[in-house]
Amino acid sequence: MASADVTQESVGYEILEGEPPELLGRNLVAAGHLLAGATAFFFVAFVFAYFYLRSLNSAGMWKPKGVDSSVGWGTAIVACYLLSALLVRLGLADHLALRRDQWRLKGLAALLIGIVGLVLQVIGWTQQGFGPADGGFASVYFGWTAFLFLFVLATLLWLEMTLATSLRYRKIPTGAPPPGHAAGDRHRERHDIRDPLSLVRAELVALSFYWTFLAGIAVLTWIVLYLI
Amino acid sequence: MTAVTAPLRPPIWRRLVGFNLLTGIVLGIGGWYVGWFGAHAVVGPSLDYFGDVDYNELSVFMAYIGGVVGFLIGLGFLNYPARRLLGYPPSLREKETGGWARYFGLCTDHKVVGIQYLWGIGLFFFIGGLNAMLIRFELLRPTHQVFSGGTYLTLVGMHGTMMMGMMSSGILGPFANYLVPIMIGARRMAFPRVEALTFWLLMAAGAILTTTIFFGGFPTGWTGYEPLNVQAAAGMDCYILFFALAGISMTLLGLNMIATIVTMRAPGLTWMRLPIFVWGVLSTASLMVLAAPVLIAVLSMSALDRAAQTTFFSASGGGSNYLYENLFWVFGHPEVYILALPGFAIVLELLPVFARKPLWGYRLAVAGLLGVTLLSWMVWQHHLFVSGINGDLRPFYMLSTELISIPTGFTFICGLMTLWRGQIRFTVPMLFCLAWFFNFLLGGLSGVFLSDVPSDVTTHGSFFSMAHFHYTIMGGLVFTFFAAIYYWVPKMTGWQLNETLGKIHFWTMFVFFNSTFAPLFAIGFLNQPRRVNVYAHTLQFLNDWVSVSAFCLGTSMLIFLFNLVWSLAFVKKPALANPWASRSIEFQLPSPVPVHNFDRIPVFSSDPYGYGEGPVPQWVPAGAPAGRD
Repeated sequence: MASADVTQESVGYEILEGEPPELLGRNLVAAGHLLAGATAFFFVAFVFAYFYLRSLNSAGMWKPKGVDSSVGWGTAIVACYLLSALLVRLGLADHLALRRDQWRLKGLAALLIGIVGLVLQVIGWTQQGFGPADGGFASVYFGWTAFLFLFVLATLLWLEMTLATSLRYRKIPTGAPPPGHAAGDRHRERHDIRDPLSLVRAELVALSFYWTFLAGIAVLTWIVLYLI
Repeated sequence: MTAVTAPLRPPIWRRLVGFNLLTGIVLGIGGWYVGWFGAHAVVGPSLDYFGDVDYNELSVFMAYIGGVVGFLIGLGFLNYPARRLLGYPPSLREKETGGWARYFGLCTDHKVVGIQYLWGIGLFFFIGGLNAMLIRFELLRPTHQVFSGGTYLTLVGMHGTMMMGMMSSGILGPFANYLVPIMIGARRMAFPRVEALTFWLLMAAGAILTTTIFFGGFPTGWTGYEPLNVQAAAGMDCYILFFALAGISMTLLGLNMIATIVTMRAPGLTWMRLPIFVWGVLSTASLMVLAAPVLIAVLSMSALDRAAQTTFFSASGGGSNYLYENLFWVFGHPEVYILALPGFAIVLELLPVFARKPLWGYRLAVAGLLGVTLLSWMVWQHHLFVSGINGDLRPFYMLSTELISIPTGFTFICGLMTLWRGQIRFTVPMLFCLAWFFNFLLGGLSGVFLSDVPSDVTTHGSFFSMAHFHYTIMGGLVFTFFAAIYYWVPKMTGWQLNETLGKIHFWTMFVFFNSTFAPLFAIGFLNQPRRVNVYAHTLQFLNDWVSVSAFCLGTSMLIFLFNLVWSLAFVKKPALANPWASRSIEFQLPSPVPVHNFDRIPVFSSDPYGYGEGPVPQWVPAGAPAGRD
């Protein structure tokens, strides 16, 4: 490797800085859709496991006596996820209509309701009356809901990030935040994205799509694990 | 252009403190212990580590998860999410300064990540290769020689898992990360931090797999089949964590590639002007995004079976080991094409340069790549032909497997027609491409035997199938990997590789590759089973021939390594900006490429394959790069 060269290599900061925010916006929206595709295939494995093991019913241990998930808990959890996703969609509509205060309120509510859903899920696990070792259904139930929990948690963290940026800079909705506010290279003087605060909208578009998609998976979970 | 030069470097002790690889390793070890003790505290009172015979699987999983989290904290990956949680706005770049330090930490320059991948994957490729040497050493004699049956199985498993897991990113990691943004006229990948994360996750995964030997190894080979999986010692946990982390890395790598190609192409770069290499990357990435999550899911189930007593794969508990086999191969067969497709793309990308002709049948080649991508989802059950699947399913999967040879044939036709009446230059990269035709043809033809149910039943568990997939994966991927190295490394580093040593490397590798793997077809027909270190005495001559050839093949890799170190660290002959007279955009930039790639985003007005069709395309003056001179 060119050691002498790389140590003296110049960095065209003036070229790198000030990238139009639309580019990262497009990246984010595309990533939201791709992430949904990856998530779908992840949960397809659990759907496959459910129907495969159910049809085999090995040793009569698919659903032994006493193993049945509580529809009440399932409904409450999925309702929270759905409501949270709906609020984010409504928040996006507010943001598009430049009602940013309304978006922030709805975003906060969506975050809280999502967290309630997660807490209900944790309590729900302790109230089912069966454990992960109690047969095929129990395995699928705990595995599937545990990973849905993790996906929802990650999505809520994403929501928190978007909301926190929107709240922190509520008095300067567009334009450049003060120097040093964007993380990154210490040699840099300006932000690498021109008007990074305008990206809240693109993040919200991507997040809203993904959260709605995940809520759809939660509905599927409810049908398969609680209703059928 | 006004460029800011990196300031004077601080003293070495100052550079060691901070977010870098060293801190990552220290915090990784710390995190490992936190996970280990934490899990013991949750599950039981025992804290007698290492000498502990009543360790539990949870402690092993939590130790490694803690280790990975600590490693990532030390590298600085959690700084940005933490700042975002506090409400700071998004940003793209970190530590894109000059200097060596950027290679040992989180850097968001796609070219640095590409070079990190090249060395990182090279390291684990070397370890996997050493395992292969040990396997062949053991097989020099028909009875037990050095290793016990269990240790031999662990060696086989480590070799297979390391090679499959690491080489899945073998082309996309180093070359696509480095080249795709340049080839599409962009200055970065869509998500530079994610790009860096994929590399460091893969390195953490490789380290975890290597430590399996401290936990008793694993007896399952690279497939991790149940019920062996759930019965195995704690070394199996390392396998599960390795593949799960590699799966996460693959998913993110693929996602990043697709987002980059779809959203960041420069003006004028229409889909039908896209370099064929980028099409190959796009096809591979789409398989990665969709197939790797299934792998992560099935390994998660496996981890739950081992650590949380679920019964996904235990028939007596309402599960089924066939569930594992099905889900594994839903990932596993697309995985074969995750390995093969980048090889196709490299061959098609390089042939026009060295035949001095436009790529023949560009659209057909694209159709071939996409056809393979689509069909690769419909063939997985051919891996279960001998596992007692429903007989009625066999004809469909036999047919679908054989159908995949049609789009693969498109690639062959396009390659051969590009060579036809070309002014061929037998450079080192071209030699490796030409070898691909021979190797992959043998791999493909032997694949027909394995896709046909009657012949598969007799050859499936033998060395025949082992020879087949080495012809496709090593012959198809590793040869093109070296073609890519010889072709693009001068551009990536700015230094030229020695041509004579390169040719010696090629010929020794080609001859001894065939000398190693061709006899394995015969050995397989003579019924020597895989994964067993004892065999019939009558097969000793053939096995010794293969082992000696394998050692020579290993030596050819040392020739390459010598060439690499000698050329890049000692000779340091500057590479020309365009040593191959290529029309592709990366070769219109100086070597190595500047941090920001282009002063202005280029405008494309033609595809890169118009050899013999007039002067260089217009986009060169339009996107005149910033030189370093």
